[in-house]
Order: sequence, then structure tokens, then C-alpha cells
Amino acid sequence: MNTQFFIDYAWIIPLAPLVGFLINGIGTFLKLPYVRSKTVVHTIACGALLLSFIFAVGVFLHLSSLEPEARSITRYLYTWLQVGSLKADAAFLLDPLSSVMMLIITGVGFLIHVYSIGYMADDPSYSRFFTYLNLFCFAMLLLVMGDNLLMLFIGWEGVGLCSYLLIGFWFKEKANAQAGMKAFVVNRIGDFAFLLGMFLLFWTMYDYGHASVTFKEIGQHVGLIKDVEVGGWPVLVLVGILLFIGATGKSAQVPLYVWLPDAMAGPTPVSGLIHAATMVTAGIYMIGRLNFVYTLAPEALVVVATVGAVTALFAATIGFAQNDIKKVLAYSTVSQLGYMFLGMGTGAYAAGIFHLMTHAFFKACLFLGSGSVILGMHHEQDMRKMGGLKKYMPVTYWTFLLATIAIAGIFPFSGFFSKDEILWKAFEAGGHISSWYYVLWGLGIAGAMGTAFYMFRAVSMTFYGELGARAHEVPAEEASHGHDDDHGHHGHGDHTPHESPKTMTFALSVLALLSVVGGFLGIPYALGHFFHVPNFFEHWLEPVLNHGGGHHGGHHSVPPIEYGLMIFSVAIALTASYLGYLFYTKRQDLPKKFVAKFPKLHALALNKYYVDEIYQALVVNNLLRLNNFLSAFDAKVVDGAVNAVGSVVRVYSRVMGFWDATFVDGLVNGVAQLVRQLGRALRKTQTGRIQNYLYVAMLGVVILMIWRML
Amino acid sequence: MISIQHYLLVSAAIFVLGLLTVATRRNALGILLGTELVLNAAALNMVIFGRYSNHMAEGSIYALFVIVLAAAEAAVALAVGLMIYRNFKTIDTVEVDDLKG
Amino acid sequence: MMQVLNNQESLWYFLPELALVATFVLIFILDLLPSIKNQKRALPIVAAIGVVFFLGLSVYVQQFPQALLFHGMIVGDSFTDFFRLFAGVSTLFALYFSVKSKELAKVKAEYWALILGIALGLPILAASNNLLMIYLSLELVSILSYVVVGSIYGSRASSEAALKYVLYGATASGIMIYGLSLLFGVSGTLDAIQIKAFLLSHPMERLPLFIGLLMTMAGFGYKVSMVPFHMWAPDVYQGAPTPVTSYLSVGPKAAGFAILLRFVYTALTTHNGADFEPIKSVDISGLMSVFAVATMTLGNVVAMWQKDTKRMLAYSSIAHAGYMLMAVAALNQQAIEGILFYLSAYLVMNFGAFGVAQAVMQESGTQDLESFKGLAKRGSKGSLAALAMTVFLISLTGLPPTIGFVGKFVLFSAVLEAKLYVLAVIGVLNSVVSLYYYARIIKYMYFDDPLSEDKFSFGSRSYPVLITFLALATLALGLFWEPLSVVVKNSAHLLS
Repeated sequence: MNTQFFIDYAWIIPLAPLVGFLINGIGTFLKLPYVRSKTVVHTIACGALLLSFIFAVGVFLHLSSLEPEARSITRYLYTWLQVGSLKADAAFLLDPLSSVMMLIITGVGFLIHVYSIGYMADDPSYSRFFTYLNLFCFAMLLLVMGDNLLMLFIGWEGVGLCSYLLIGFWFKEKANAQAGMKAFVVNRIGDFAFLLGMFLLFWTMYDYGHASVTFKEIGQHVGLIKDVEVGGWPVLVLVGILLFIGATGKSAQVPLYVWLPDAMAGPTPVSGLIHAATMVTAGIYMIGRLNFVYTLAPEALVVVATVGAVTALFAATIGFAQNDIKKVLAYSTVSQLGYMFLGMGTGAYAAGIFHLMTHAFFKACLFLGSGSVILGMHHEQDMRKMGGLKKYMPVTYWTFLLATIAIAGIFPFSGFFSKDEILWKAFEAGGHISSWYYVLWGLGIAGAMGTAFYMFRAVSMTFYGELGARAHEVPAEEASHGHDDDHGHHGHGDHTPHESPKTMTFALSVLALLSVVGGFLGIPYALGHFFHVPNFFEHWLEPVLNHGGGHHGGHHSVPPIEYGLMIFSVAIALTASYLGYLFYTKRQDLPKKFVAKFPKLHALALNKYYVDEIYQALVVNNLLRLNNFLSAFDAKVVDGAVNAVGSVVRVYSRVMGFWDATFVDGLVNGVAQLVRQLGRALRKTQTGRIQNYLYVAMLGVVILMIWRML
Repeated sequence: MISIQHYLLVSAAIFVLGLLTVATRRNALGILLGTELVLNAAALNMVIFGRYSNHMAEGSIYALFVIVLAAAEAAVALAVGLMIYRNFKTIDTVEVDDLKG
Repeated sequence: MMQVLNNQESLWYFLPELALVATFVLIFILDLLPSIKNQKRALPIVAAIGVVFFLGLSVYVQQFPQALLFHGMIVGDSFTDFFRLFAGVSTLFALYFSVKSKELAKVKAEYWALILGIALGLPILAASNNLLMIYLSLELVSILSYVVVGSIYGSRASSEAALKYVLYGATASGIMIYGLSLLFGVSGTLDAIQIKAFLLSHPMERLPLFIGLLMTMAGFGYKVSMVPFHMWAPDVYQGAPTPVTSYLSVGPKAAGFAILLRFVYTALTTHNGADFEPIKSVDISGLMSVFAVATMTLGNVVAMWQKDTKRMLAYSSIAHAGYMLMAVAALNQQAIEGILFYLSAYLVMNFGAFGVAQAVMQESGTQDLESFKGLAKRGSKGSLAALAMTVFLISLTGLPPTIGFVGKFVLFSAVLEAKLYVLAVIGVLNSVVSLYYYARIIKYMYFDDPLSEDKFSFGSRSYPVLITFLALATLALGLFWEPLSVVVKNSAHLLS
């Protein structure tokens, strides 16, 4: 088969979802008859993505048939804009990195489209939903395929806009609309920094005679401005940090992550799409694409790595305290993105992108699994009201479990290979870059432990035990809400959980399979060389990411410590998984016993079996009376210790939650408030009296005269 | 001997008096009178500068146009003033402040 | 040196304006015929035909070589040609929206003639090369504007707006010509080109020059609603009939920018605007930066508090003037292109936003912003209006893929090229702030419950077509802006 065909027609990849969007969009907007047929709507939408996927595979095949050095093809379409020295073409860059991203977006995107057929079956806004989904995929494809910064920015803004539409999809509910707004505004703050970084890069290059926004030319000439400084800072470090601030907005890193958990308000397939395949990975992709800038700006890389590692741990601990299944997954996404940034910041770009891919598989599977659970439970998202679903939803259970093992990083599932690679690279960087990376590695390991714990906690609470065994833990005032997904699905007679339709389980099974085997694409040399299996993934990306700090050509000796660390991290993951399982199945008494020791607090708490709330109450009180807290140790050392660790972690998540709510939100609100108050004050000057207006004008002239004369 | 400085002083004084009138009069017509003073100060300037810089014609023609346009502006302003009186029953600008904020 | 034409030769260049004058006279003559007088639509149609002739002739005269006309009073260059087209197109929109306006249902022939008179003043203002012409054309636009603002008979708001406008305008133009007289005094000439020559050969004391310039800027600043000469704008925009408001915020504002650019460029700079050599002692760029920051910041933060649709759009238009003032501070070739491009973008998106706003306000009978609530849920016309409005608002905010984004992009690039980094940062921050109040309307339209159960109606069949056209243009020009960019590039060459 002549794969050149796919290269010539590569523009079909973004065009197909755009056409799908237009057909469904126009139909929905004008209320044309064909959109009343759900079959027509989803055939168009899924067909478009399938077509894109086929072409993406074609492009991939063609690229892999070429020499590694030749694997970079620019498909020029037309000159998009030209202002002065700034010229940008509408052109697609087809290279190993963009082809991986294309495959993920179209592949996982297609599965999510298929899944949505079942999930949204009863929704009155069926066609609108698919319209948005296609638009989203189009914007994301534009982002990864553009050959220049401007196209990337257009896609970047585009996914922001689409996510806003999708999160606010059920806009009749105020909370959803607000979540959409929040996502949009926070992203704008990041975009502002991104734009500044872009301009700064462009104009510095311009000053040095290479005014261009295409990645290729920036990559060729960026070395020229290596030593340029702006206000005492190397300009590339500034550019790197500004662009990264943009990435923290889009990819939900500290401190701009606040929108992502709120954004769970949208339909579950959307959450899956945003979290797994598309929007949040944009920041990672951007750093991968601009790796040549970052490689020349090691200080910026340290910032990236630090923010990544902190986010990885921080979000994982928040995940402990969540009862809403989607919230758990949301914080988990934030945490996993932290790992990717840690990888990027270590200079192990290939490892970061690799984790992006495996994460796309298992996180999509987890989200879609949670959607299936939510649907099966008749729009219940509170895990305390679940339990024992294993019996009712076997396919969902097994796929969810496999994906959980993958995310926990247990050998030989995909998460192990990618996460371990990142941690190893961080550890290695501790040796030869800066010992600061050892600290980051430590944070990463702690986060990995947390990940395993909260994910198995989620599995246990959802699938094991008896249905509704914990329902009494839900305080009465909370019982009434938590029905975020409650739309157009009324009239179910019986309330037994049920397995989801075929379209959904099909998508789940494929994704679960990928979560299991996806890791074999990037077996680290340390393991691979026993079987003479190369690290396919790293080799594939090498032409694009060849500036990475990885060990090239140094594949001959493997330090024994690498095996040690591998075993260590697997052991930690296994232990934490087991604890997560134990605490929420057989030994639910452990948390409860701890509670019994403190009758006063017990009386204070509304419900003693309500573990999370009691933990939180304990923590708050114990902080006030530290002695009391320490005395808990002499009762039963094991139980006490276990619970103390739990408590500390819960203090931490509690404090972080507080910090999040007060400080981050407060900062955002504070600035907004300041601007608003300024507006109010200025508004008062507009008194309605013409003479006051004239005073202002005269005063203005006088002030300017005096100011300029002095 | 009357020099250019003396003329300029006069025109500057008229200009300032005009602005003061605009700033202090509450009556719409009073404000209008103030603007006429400002315009005339400018016209006077034009004539003076024309006279002393051997561009007599340019300066004087400019002054003529200023006078003509001032008349046109006054005509429109008076018409607007009448309309205001019909709607508000006053031409006190302090009371014409529905639009604000 | 440029060719200077005498009056007779210049008339050929002046054909488009002559067509407007002829139509102006024709309207008054036709108004005397009873059969025409009773036909409500006849006069606006005549006016529109006149404008179309004007546009046609504007294209026709572009073939003539660039020259100074009427002994150097005005300039016939591609910059003038651009503003002729700009004035013609915006006048056509103003005529259309006036015909569809309920507020203006009772207007007489004068109204249409006055609109044409303003249209006549705009290109002359943009072309003025002489301090006398600047004053005359500015007053031509201003005095006629005072009248059209007050053209709703018996409306308190409309008459109040007119009063404030006339008093403010008279004072501002008084201050301006006092400043011009000082410039005349120090340079001994009224011709902008000769002023530059004089300033270059006689380095000046900065005090009289600076005072003169500052007072002149007050006059221009009032026209483009630059802080602190902006205070008339919100009240006048709110009280004036909606079509007049939209016209004032596009046409005269653009002409104000045109003369500001031309005057600063011709009289005060050398090397194609790159160098403020004639007035080294006065930091014009710094002065304009201060104006720009104050203007956009005030416009945006006060707009957040507005509950009245037109008032909100008035503050928004002040903010947009601030963005363009940034480019005046930069004043390189790119900045001029940037302003022309942004003005074109602003024409499309602002008429669009005002168009939808006019329909909504007419339908609900109130100017309250809340009348946008639930617009998207009120039938197919409602969702069309909401969708189009969303496009315009996104464009006004400056997000892709709209022309507003491209416009901001071009402006900011020019500002960055002039190395005014702080200014650019403040500009981008401001556009983030503007998101707040623009997005609020989007929220009203899509997320809130409608105040009325009735299906929304534009009240006319052609109205939604025009709105859709504007929305599509906003999007299309945001994706394929090359043609517009070429036009702008060719127009940004001032003769000096």
C-alpha cells in the first residue's frame, strides 16, 4: 500500500471532525430533520473520528517507513497571515511527536465517541453534544498538527473554548455554568502568560535576524539567543517559564489547577475526553514540541520539574478525601499530569510523552468506567452509596480494575513502565544535574504511593462489599444532592444497578486492553535488553526530542540501583494498594476503632461511621490538643500508627483544600475584586453633570502640563 | 508701545476667563457664553500671530472661519437648549443629570 | 516633493465628496415634493444610493496619482482613500439600522441629510493637511453629530445627551483651536508639512510647543474619546438613538484616529514615523502611552459595572480606543497598519454587536442588559441572535478565530516591535478584564432563564440576514485576513 497518499491528504485528519461539527452543528442550529435521528448524528460524528484515525495511522505508517532523520514533513496549505516580518502559514507538521499525539487524540477520541452513543442515549441534547465533541477534537488536532506557534495558540484557545462549552453542557444548572466560566477564566490567565512568552520568543529571535514562528526554524536558530538577557534574566528562561505558566493553566498544575475538579460538572465522556486524550495534555505537548527551548533553559526546567513533582503529591493526597468518584479521578489526573511535567522537567521528554500516552489509555478507561458506574447506579456519583457493584457490572468492574492496576504502577501493566521511567530519570538527574532532583524523586515516590492507595480505595468502595453498605455514612443534608449527572434519565422503575450498553462496554474493553499492554511500547533498556527488545517509543521520538538529557548510546551498563528502585516502587505500590483495599473492605474496623478511642470527638461528630468527616474532625481537634493526639499511640501501636499516618495525610489534604479554597480562589477573587472596586470608584466620577466632566478634562490637561514640564 | 506680548496677554486672559465661565456657570447658556470667549481668544491669537509673522491673510482668514463656526455652533446649542427646556423645564445643567454612572 | 494641485485640478480627486454634497442637496429638494415626503422609505434609499455612488467614485479616484489638493489644504493619498471607503461602509450600516429603528420612526428629511453630512466630514477630516481644514472638518462632523444625537423628539435622554455633547464639544474644540493658534504662532504656518520643516530647522523651546500640542490633543482626544476627554461619551452614547450611537462609535471615532495619525505623522515625525525628531524636547510617545493606559483601563473597569446595554458598549468603545492609542504611541509603519486593521475589525464587530443590541432593546422595550437573558432559548431567531452576539462579543474580547483576535494581534505586534513591552502587557491584561463583562452577556443569553416567554423576533426579514452576514464576516476575516491585510498595507502610506 502506498502510504504517501496519507501524507498528501493529511489535512483530512483535522478536516473530518470539522466537517462533522459543521454538519451536526448546522443541523442542530437550524433544527433540520436529520439531526432528530440519533443514528445519523452519531454515525457522522464517530465516522469523522474514525476517518481521522485511519489517516493518522496512515501517516504513522508512512513516517515509520522513512529514515529516522527524514521523519519530519511539513504540509503547506496556504499563507495564513503576514504582518510585517511576521509570517505564519497554515501548514501541518507531520513528525513522530505529532503522529503520536494524532493517534492518541483520534484513537482514544473515537472510543469516547462510541462510548457516548450509549451514555448520552437518553439526553435531549444528543446532537449538540456530538457537535461539541467533534469541535473539540478538531481544535486539539489543530493544536498538535500546526507547524508554528500561532496555530498551536489557535488550537490552544480553541480547546479552551470547547471545554467551556462542554463543561457547561447542562447549562440549565447554575453550578455547571459557573464551573464552565471558572475553567474559561483560569485558562485565560494562563493564556496571557503563554502569549507573552510567545511574543518574547518571537521578538528576540527577530532582533537576531530570524523572525519566524515555525517550530523548525525556531529549533534551528534558537541557539543564537542562548545568552541574551532581559532585565538580568536569560531570555530563554523567561520564555520557558512564561510558556509553562500557560501550560499550568491548560494542564491543571499548581496553582492554576482549580478549574479541573470543578469541571467535573460536565457529562462523563467529556471529562474523559478532556482529562485523558486532549486538552490537559496540551501543556505537555507544548513543552515536548519546544524541547529545544527548554533544553537551553535549565532553570526553567527545574521550575517545570518542581511544579510537576509538587502537584503529583499534592493532588494525590487530596484524592484521599474525596467521596465523589469523579472527583477522585479528577485529582488523580492532576497528579498524573504532575508526573508528566516532572518527566519533561527532568529533560526526559520521551518519558513524559510516553506517560501521556499510557495515561490516555488508563485514565480514559477509568473515566468511562466511572461513567458506566454512574449510569448503572442511576446517576449516583457518591461512592459511599455504592459497593458490591462487581456482581452487577462485571465488565465495568474488570476493566476498571485493570486500569487501576495500571495507574497504580504495578508490573507489568502500562503505568509501571511509564511512571517508573520518569521516576528513574528524576533519580538519575539527582546524580548528574542537581541533588534537588532527589527531593523531587522523593515527592514522586510518595505521590505514587498515594495514587495506589486512593485508587484501590475507590475500587473497594465501589465494587466490593455490599451495595449501599456505607449509605448510612452519608449525612442527611448531603443525601439530597450529588446528582450532578441527573438529566433526562428519569422513570427507571427498579433501582438495581445494571451493566451498561454494548457501545460502552466495547470502548471500555479496548481501553482496558491498551492499559494492560500499552507499556510494552516503551520497555526501559534495563529490562528490555534481557530479551533484546528495544525501547520502541523512545527511538521513535528520538528525531524530535534528541536534545533530551536521557542516556544516549550509554545503554551498555545498567546501574544496579535502577533495578533496586524498580522493585522498591513496585513494592510501595503493592503495599499501598493492599492498604487501600484492606481499609475499605475487611478491616473497616481499623478506622472505626480509632474513633472509639475518642468518645468526646465521637459525640461531636454527626455520624461515627462517617470516616472521612471523623478523620477531619479528629485532625482539627488534635491539632489543638497535640498531647491527646500523641496519646493515641499507646492504645494499639499498629492501629494507632496506621491511623496517625492517615491523619497526617488528611491534615495535609484538609489544609491543602483550605489553601485551595481560600488562597488560590481568594487570590483570583481578590484581583477580580480589586479591579471591580477600581471600576466602582471610577464610575462615581461620572456624575452626570456636564461641568464635572469639563473639570476632569481641564484638570487632565493641567496635570499633564505640570507633569511633563517638571 | 504695544508689543505682541500685550496682545497675547489679552487673549490669554480672555481664554482663561472663558474657561472660568464654563467652569462656574450652571446655566447652559452661561456655559455656552464661556465657550464663545474661548473661541474668540483663539481667533484673536490667530490674527495677532498672522500680523506679526507676515502671514496676515492666513491668520485673519482663520479668525473669520472661527467666527462663522462659532455662530453655527451657537445656533445648534441654542436649539438644543430649547429642547432641554421643553423636556426638563429648566436649563440648569446640575438638574440635567439623568445619565450618569 | 509632492505634486501640489490647484483648485481646478483637485476637483477630480474630490468627485466622491461632490457626490455626497449633491445627494445632500437632493434630499432637501425631494423633501419638498409631497409624493416623496409621504414615502417613509424614499429618502433613506436616496441617501443610500448617494453613498453607493460615493463608494464607487472613491474606488474610481484611487487610480489618480497621489497629490496635495487645493493648494495643499487636503491630501489625496491611499490613506484618504481608505477612510473614504470606511466612511461609506459605516454610513451604509448606519442608514440601514436607522431605517429599522423604532426610535427614529418619526424623523424628517434632515436626519438623512445630516447623516450624509457627517459622512462628508469623515474623509475630509482624514485628509486634512492644514490646521484650518482640521478645524473645519472636525466641526463639520461635530456640529452635525450634536443634532442627530438629539433627534428623538420629546425624549429626555436624547435631549440631555445632545446638551452634554454640544457643551462638551464646544469647549473641547475651543481648547483645540487655542492650541492650534499657538502652533501657528510658533511655526508661522498652518500647513502641517511646513510645520515639520520649520520645527526641523528651528529647534523650539518646549513650553509653548508642548502646551500647544497638548491642547490640540485635547481636541483629537475628545473625538476618539480618550481619557481624560472621554466623559461625554457614555452619556451621549446612552441617550442617543441606537443607530446614531453605533455610527458615532465607529465613523467619527475612526476619523478622529485618522487625523490624529496624520497630524502626528506629518507634522511631528521623520523617517516614516519612526523618529519624533521635530519635537525632540517633547516625549509624544510617552504622552500617548499614558493616554492609552488610562483610556483602556478606565473603559474596561467601569464597563463591568454597567447595567445599561448602550452604556456598557460605550465604555467598551472607550476601551477599544485605548488599544488603538497604544499603536499611536508606537507609530511605526506597522502601527499605522495595525490601527487601520483594528478599525476595520471594529467596524464589523461593533456594528454587529450594536445591531443585535438594537433588536433586543427594541423587542423588550428597555435598554437593560438583563433583556438579553435567555435569548438563546427564545426560538430559532433568538438562538440566531444569541449565537451572532456571542461571535461579536468573542471578537470584541479578542479571542480566535475572529477578526477581533487578528486585530489585537496586529496591534500588539506593532507595540512590541516598538519595544513598548509594559504597554503591551497592560493591553493584554486589559483584554482579560474585558472578558468579564463580555462573557456576562454570553452567560445571560445561554444560562439564564428568559424574562419573556415570547419567541424572539427581529421585527424585519432582512435584519437577521444582515446580522448573520456580519457574524460570518467576523469569523471569515478572522481566518482569512490576507485580503484585508493587503488593503490595509497598501493604505498605510501617508503622503508627507
